[in-house]
Amino acid sequence: MDTQFAQRRRRDLIVAGCFAVIAALVPLFVKDVYVQNIMVLTLMYAALSQSWNILSGYCGQISLGHALYFGLGAYTTALLFTKFGVLPWFGMLAGGAISAVIAMALGYPCFRLRGHYFVIATIVIAEIALVLIQNWDWAGAALGIDIPVRGDSWLKFQFARSKLPYFYFALALACVAWLVTWWLEDSKWGYWWRAVKDNPDAAESLGVVVFNSKMGAAAVSAFLVAVGGSFYAQFVSYIDPESVMGFQFSLLMALPAVLGGIGTLWGPVLGAVILIPLTELTRSFIGGSGRGVDLIVYGTLIVVISLALPRGLVSVFSWRKEAAR
Amino acid sequence: MTALLETPLLETRGVWQRFGGLVANSDVSISVGRGEIVGLIGPNGAGKSTLFNLIAGVLPPTQGSIIFDGEDVTRLPAAERCQRGVGRTFQVVKSFETMTVIDNVIVGALIRNTKMRIARQKAYEVLEFCGLAARAEKLAADLVPSEKRRLEVARALATEPKLLLLDEVLTGLTPVEAQTGVDLVRKVRATGVTVLMVEHVMEIVMPLVDRAIVLNLGKVLVEGKPADVVRNPEVISAYLGDRHAVGA
Repeated sequence: MDTQFAQRRRRDLIVAGCFAVIAALVPLFVKDVYVQNIMVLTLMYAALSQSWNILSGYCGQISLGHALYFGLGAYTTALLFTKFGVLPWFGMLAGGAISAVIAMALGYPCFRLRGHYFVIATIVIAEIALVLIQNWDWAGAALGIDIPVRGDSWLKFQFARSKLPYFYFALALACVAWLVTWWLEDSKWGYWWRAVKDNPDAAESLGVVVFNSKMGAAAVSAFLVAVGGSFYAQFVSYIDPESVMGFQFSLLMALPAVLGGIGTLWGPVLGAVILIPLTELTRSFIGGSGRGVDLIVYGTLIVVISLALPRGLVSVFSWRKEAAR
Repeated sequence: MTALLETPLLETRGVWQRFGGLVANSDVSISVGRGEIVGLIGPNGAGKSTLFNLIAGVLPPTQGSIIFDGEDVTRLPAAERCQRGVGRTFQVVKSFETMTVIDNVIVGALIRNTKMRIARQKAYEVLEFCGLAARAEKLAADLVPSEKRRLEVARALATEPKLLLLDEVLTGLTPVEAQTGVDLVRKVRATGVTVLMVEHVMEIVMPLVDRAIVLNLGKVLVEGKPADVVRNPEVISAYLGDRHAVGA
């Protein structure tokens, strides 16, 4: 009786595996550094959006302040490395852990807020953090931190000559974020989160401790986003407050999931694959004129997709499935 | 006879609930024995829903205590009471609309079963019991109102409650649907679950319940066998006004 369900989950896993293998093979044919750069960013945003989706999509707590966790990850890694010589791999874990703790500390007061008030709180908190970092001299204040690059090294996770190691790490990160979501979807937490999103009162009456569920979602989500931030710091090797904690990162994490299908397994991936190359391509080909044509094209596309497919791009596929039945 | 010797499953002792200047419940003491079906009735604004919410743990009473299964649960939140064996439905249905019917019930089943496979199996059994198995894969949002009511019952049953609180599950249904509902409540009791149901419409509940408690203006007006309660002049007066009570 649960074979249909189990089949669907197995099929998702196989499809994801195929995509991962295909993606891993792409750099063999695409040698252009500019295109590789776009691929790295696409995979990174797929991972970030997937992580954002855990708290905001599944658990329904819309956060527009996730740039905070992205920045925390980037800064923790960069500071630990430049000040104490701690390897970025440990910095990544430390950044993730710090972000998870901070997410819960902030969740403690904020999860009592509902709907729009919660969203506003997340924006404000991220902006406050941005201002604090901008004025923190030890952490480089507004100038930021330059991570010294001395040759290619997996140990120090820095590569000057090739983008490929970053590409494979970003691919692995996207796979991990996807797998975590896939696994959570059929777990106690996954069910609780969806219940909390749909109706917190009913969830509470069925024994779900709503507050703890939100805290759990926030911690997982923040941890993964911070790892993404750590990766980004290594990838660009120079960070400043605005470039890792700016509001645009919060939006860029939310948009792929929202366009692709919020609260779905495939939405963030689909959204990132379409949105991120589009952002980069419009910027390089029609941007730069100072007239903002790229942003007009970009914005128009978002409006068109949201109007035509309010439940996200994934709804195209589910519509087909229903028609076939 | 043994039922009288046992401690009741649920007791409220001198419960008061005030909302600012409004007294919704004043000094309400009721008890529900194990295996009973008890109806909590009364005209609009009698304080039924408030008392119901106090028992379910939505909010703590201003004064008084609530004893469930021999333990004082007065200060326990709703989720904790569910853990102890209190299941409930909502007067205005609160399905998880974006989830399928089976997933709705799984949420309830997860409190007793941590393994997903077992919880899913349990949820299917409950759906079958409630006559919703054919709708398992449908979205909750696509159910008709009477099915949504049954889904609420199914979800609550999946938590394996000792006491099931039903908030107007039979109100607003067609006679056929209401009869199906009545049969379901009897079936639930047959499995050993105690039922406390709030109803507004007397003729639906009276044939079903073992005992009726009538609330009026926040106080317990009368309690007893349904047949006695409906003939009680005070009850008639509360429902219909004094003029009608004279004839009785």
